[in-house]
Amino acid sequence: MFKLPRKTLINFILLAFAILLVSIFLSCFKNPAQKIFKPHLSFIGLVKRELSGIIFYHHNMIQAGRLQNEVDLLRLRLFDLRELSQENTRLKNLFNFKQQSSLRLVAARVIGRSVDSWSSSLIIDKGRYNGIKSGMVVISPQGLVGSIVESTDNTSKVLLINDPNQGISSIVQRSRQEGLVNGTLGTNLIMRYLPDDAAIIVGDIVVTSELSQIYPKGLLVGRVVNIGREFSGLNRYALVKPVVDLANIEEVLVIVP
Amino acid sequence: MKKLYFLLAIIILATLGLDWPNFLNFFYCKPDLLLIFMVALVFYTDFKTALFFGILAGLTKDIFLPWSLPINTICFSIWSYLIYRLSRQISTEEDYVRWSIVLVAALLNNFSIGLQGLATGNIIPPGIFLRNLIIVSVYTTLLSPLVFKLTKRIAS
Repeated sequence: MFKLPRKTLINFILLAFAILLVSIFLSCFKNPAQKIFKPHLSFIGLVKRELSGIIFYHHNMIQAGRLQNEVDLLRLRLFDLRELSQENTRLKNLFNFKQQSSLRLVAARVIGRSVDSWSSSLIIDKGRYNGIKSGMVVISPQGLVGSIVESTDNTSKVLLINDPNQGISSIVQRSRQEGLVNGTLGTNLIMRYLPDDAAIIVGDIVVTSELSQIYPKGLLVGRVVNIGREFSGLNRYALVKPVVDLANIEEVLVIVP
Repeated sequence: MKKLYFLLAIIILATLGLDWPNFLNFFYCKPDLLLIFMVALVFYTDFKTALFFGILAGLTKDIFLPWSLPINTICFSIWSYLIYRLSRQISTEEDYVRWSIVLVAALLNNFSIGLQGLATGNIIPPGIFLRNLIIVSVYTTLLSPLVFKLTKRIAS
């Protein structure tokens, strides 16, 4: 058997006893020690939490900013695509109409509108170079738009059907009742010179007549929305709502003879 | 150089008039920016310059209208002269006096154009005539401070 020196043995026993004592009384030290440490530990914890919060917030903020930019960009692209899709539909309609129509048509884009409120006109991006001349008829797939009053090399001026200077010899499609359709600068046109016993009712469709020297026969002008008696009492008039949205038209077709 | 800027201002204002966005239309009416410019020229420049560019503004407007009669050229030159005469009679230093002059000029201009339309046999319902007379004139007056600022900046 190996032998330990007496002194070393006593040291070992004392150390074991001390460890035993500390183990026994450890729980007694824990509470006051934790009490002492608690405030600054809490404070450090709080600071750490806040710091990590700030870092997290900052990280999120940067990410949110990046995502917002991405959303804005995508939204912009979506608008562009929607605009392109609408333009595509319009142009497709225009193209289909052009293909199906027996008339020779030149498609044009609206680049300007009337500069004041006393006239109703458009400026289109096609002119003499494209064979457009004064007096030609302007239509859209929905119906009659107006006529060319001036043309330069690359642009033309279109007098819309709701301009007071515009007069269109028209007939009611159902009853063949004739009348003269004039613009009023408002949203409706006025069909005048209707006799007292004119066969016309609200909802009738008005088309161009063969009496018109400018407009081809049968072009859709609008729908009757109201009928009244003229101030003189001799004739009746009808208010006609154009089938074409003249205020928002963007592309037109010019009939080239 | 100033004259070039005036010319540029006429082009910009005419382009704005031709391409005035629909959502800014008030009761289907748009302001007459060139008329405001013509009035502003009388206040901020000498008579000859005001008259010359006033006529040019009227001519620019007439170019884009579907009529053969240059009514705006005629009217703008008359209003230029009358406002010049008036500015020598009364003080036009106050802003509200200037805006009132724009309102009167716009009313007179719209009345002349409307009357010319009626005289040529056009049918303009009373409601639309009054709308174009009053709303356009008021809308024009409301936008006059902006055009005045632009003209003042070019003139100074």
